[in-house]
Amino acid sequence: MSEAVLDEPPARSAELAVPLLSVSKFTKHFGEVKANTDVDLDILPGEVHALVGENGAGKSTLLKMIYGVYTPDSGRMLVEGAEVRPGSPADARALGIGMVFQDLRLVPAFTVVENIALSMAGGQFLRPDALAKQIDEASAKHGLRVHAKARVRHLSIGERQRVEILKVLMTGARLVILDEPTSVLAPQEVEALFGVVRHLRDLGFGVVIVTHKINEVRAIADRVTVLRGGRTILQGVIPSDYTNTELIEAMVGRAVSDLVADRAPVAGAAGSAPALELVGVRANGDRGNEALKGITFSVAPGELVGVAGVAGSGQRELCEVALGLRSTTSGAVRVCGTTTGSPRAALKAGAVSVPEDPVADTVVSRLSVLEHMALDGRALPRKRMGLNWSMIRSRSEKANSALGLKMAPLHRKVSELSGGNIQRVVLTRELSLDSTLVVAAYPSRGLDVLNTRRTQEILLEKRNASAGILMISEDLDELMSIADRIVVMHDGHVSGILSADEFDRQRIGELMLGGAA
Amino acid sequence: MTTTLPAPRSEAPLPVAPPEAPASDRGARLAQATVRWIAALGGAFLIFSALLISKNANPLTVYTDAWNSTFARQQSIEDIVIKMAPFVLAALAVVVPARAGMANVGGEGQVIIGAVAACGTAMAVGDALPGVTVMVLMMLAGMVAGALWAGIAGAMRLLLKVNEAVTTLLLNYVALDVLLFLIYQPWRADPTGQPATKELQTAAKLPLLAGTTVNVGIVIAVIAVVLVWIALSFTTWGFSLSVVGGNAEAARRAGLPVAKLLLSALLVGGALAGLAGMVHFAGVEYKLRPGFGAQIGYTAFLASWLARHKPIPVLLACFVFAALTVAGDSLQLDAGLPAATVNILTGLILIAVLGWTTSTRKANS
Repeated sequence: MSEAVLDEPPARSAELAVPLLSVSKFTKHFGEVKANTDVDLDILPGEVHALVGENGAGKSTLLKMIYGVYTPDSGRMLVEGAEVRPGSPADARALGIGMVFQDLRLVPAFTVVENIALSMAGGQFLRPDALAKQIDEASAKHGLRVHAKARVRHLSIGERQRVEILKVLMTGARLVILDEPTSVLAPQEVEALFGVVRHLRDLGFGVVIVTHKINEVRAIADRVTVLRGGRTILQGVIPSDYTNTELIEAMVGRAVSDLVADRAPVAGAAGSAPALELVGVRANGDRGNEALKGITFSVAPGELVGVAGVAGSGQRELCEVALGLRSTTSGAVRVCGTTTGSPRAALKAGAVSVPEDPVADTVVSRLSVLEHMALDGRALPRKRMGLNWSMIRSRSEKANSALGLKMAPLHRKVSELSGGNIQRVVLTRELSLDSTLVVAAYPSRGLDVLNTRRTQEILLEKRNASAGILMISEDLDELMSIADRIVVMHDGHVSGILSADEFDRQRIGELMLGGAA
Repeated sequence: MTTTLPAPRSEAPLPVAPPEAPASDRGARLAQATVRWIAALGGAFLIFSALLISKNANPLTVYTDAWNSTFARQQSIEDIVIKMAPFVLAALAVVVPARAGMANVGGEGQVIIGAVAACGTAMAVGDALPGVTVMVLMMLAGMVAGALWAGIAGAMRLLLKVNEAVTTLLLNYVALDVLLFLIYQPWRADPTGQPATKELQTAAKLPLLAGTTVNVGIVIAVIAVVLVWIALSFTTWGFSLSVVGGNAEAARRAGLPVAKLLLSALLVGGALAGLAGMVHFAGVEYKLRPGFGAQIGYTAFLASWLARHKPIPVLLACFVFAALTVAGDSLQLDAGLPAATVNILTGLILIAVLGWTTSTRKANS
């Protein structure tokens, strides 16, 4: 993230304006689970309000009550001073409340115009040209660059998000709620998003941004509300009045000592084959374009190599090539000295992986957590004709307690879990295996502060147990703190390889943009 | 060298997901589902009644007559059971590939090819072998032929990435032409009479269940249901198929042999449809003729959908379709309506039930 993003936003005093939204004493209990208890929140026009909290702090429940998905057990909600009680998302939208969900809800095969037409009330006939004009006007007014005639499937995640925001604005929202908008974005895209958010603030919109990253709160929020255990811990305070430690403590409850990452000398066992070796690897992407254009580097046993790069620089293809999931057009890929051309060969050589997109790449609809735990790449444990479920169960319980990522109960259907919980299932399954190579793409995606830290610890433990680790991350701080070396990718090339004593944010940023050495 | 990470956090309470639906809702939901089913069936019959009235038939009389002639006579019930057997086997041929996420629309052709292979085997063996041996050989031949026929579609899916729904469907027309070629040319029994093969030797006809006109086809079908149920629910193969059907990419990443699994599902499906063809040939028709086995594959496809591609409910769905077919015959006889009229009712029921139960599922999820 650049300097610009980290700039302090102008502190805005709570002026005398009527709050756009004011929630008082919202309570919602699901049986034993006290999702929200006496939660307060107020949003002024022309402010960016960060809503922060760990997974399970009650942020989603609060938002769902505001957006009319759940009805609160008790509490009041005022919109511009008038008491309201939205019974459905349509009610909430009519009140000027718009929501952009974390999993974007656009039809990929449709154009931007068609997607926006879907959400606009109106006549029976599509008037694409008129609507396109409206879209262009709205996007100019709100500072959201959007190409109206483009098909959504050709847009980047950042662009899709802009379409969603535009859609919400065009349906008349005065208050825009963004649910963890940065979790799907690359650093550059985060910057662009924050530009849009600032612009909306200046136009007098109220913006709620859900996050659990403190530096994002600092970068964008005028005020912050912290939830923990379903209660309001800090309500609408100005971030600059608090230190990072105080904010994190408010989120988590108490503070803990720093994790110390010892860097072993990266020699690997002398003479042993690298955990992963790529020599002049070229491979095509899904659209037939050349995504890897001659990649050469290796990961030694006991080494953690981070990969930095702008989204779409070939990281996905790099992981897939390493795991034998994507065929190469030239060059060699070796895991522990054996050439691997298929997923089975890579698994056999001891590779495990945390996929970039866990929902698309590992979640099998209708199957439970237990059934997913069976799919760890080893031969399915058999008992007569069927699977040895009791063995898988005990293995899974052992993995869960050893890793401490607290995955969801074994009987739950994985497709019904939230993104963070799915990630914990995948991490527990993959990182509990004995492995020689770990390919981890965005391992802390969707995780809260605690589990992110625990995941980093586990990766370091695996490294110390002399596995080679290839880790893709969009978080430069994360890479610089735990990687032994950082490979920077740009447009399918390796634009630089830095060892730990050469780590420098500025330098890496230049390399990410392809900067001449 | 040592670096420090920013301060980490202590233990947070395990986030407990809010319970999606309390158990007390379950009864209400079941009641709701039942109401939906009744409404769906009622709606279908209502529309069909309107049709009957437009043809100057009294719906009440038609329904009573159809019910009486279908369920009040021993022979009709036996007819239903006889018709059911190939339906069940051909429906299982849809169930198995569906578990791996594939649509086998080729039951029609696989049934015909299975019957052709069975007929060819019987003609080749003649009276040289005991009847039971011939039957077993016919079964094997039917299954192998059906599997190979489906295997063509499987190979095209795996090698050329052509969707199996299209290829299995198109292969139906090829199978039909193979049948017509054989019965008009090399296998024609009587060059001057109707185009048909000669009748199957009596010893090789499927035996009847004691005291009835029902052949053992239904026993074969029930055994197949149980075997398919066990294979899909309790074996590693069945589990692997569910994974492939649920998310093929996840299966590939877990190192499952996706191509082999897809092919095996289609081969098993084809074999079951081929067996259906053999049962229909050796149990009902005894000779190949134009129109042999027509509609078995398509009806079974619908039955599998109605049963949500689950083996045990397939039995019930096939019973319903078999009963409707028999009722159609009596409609023709009693009310003077064309037998095809009942196809309209079949279609209405299917649309209504699929429409309503799908919306139930959505409401539940």
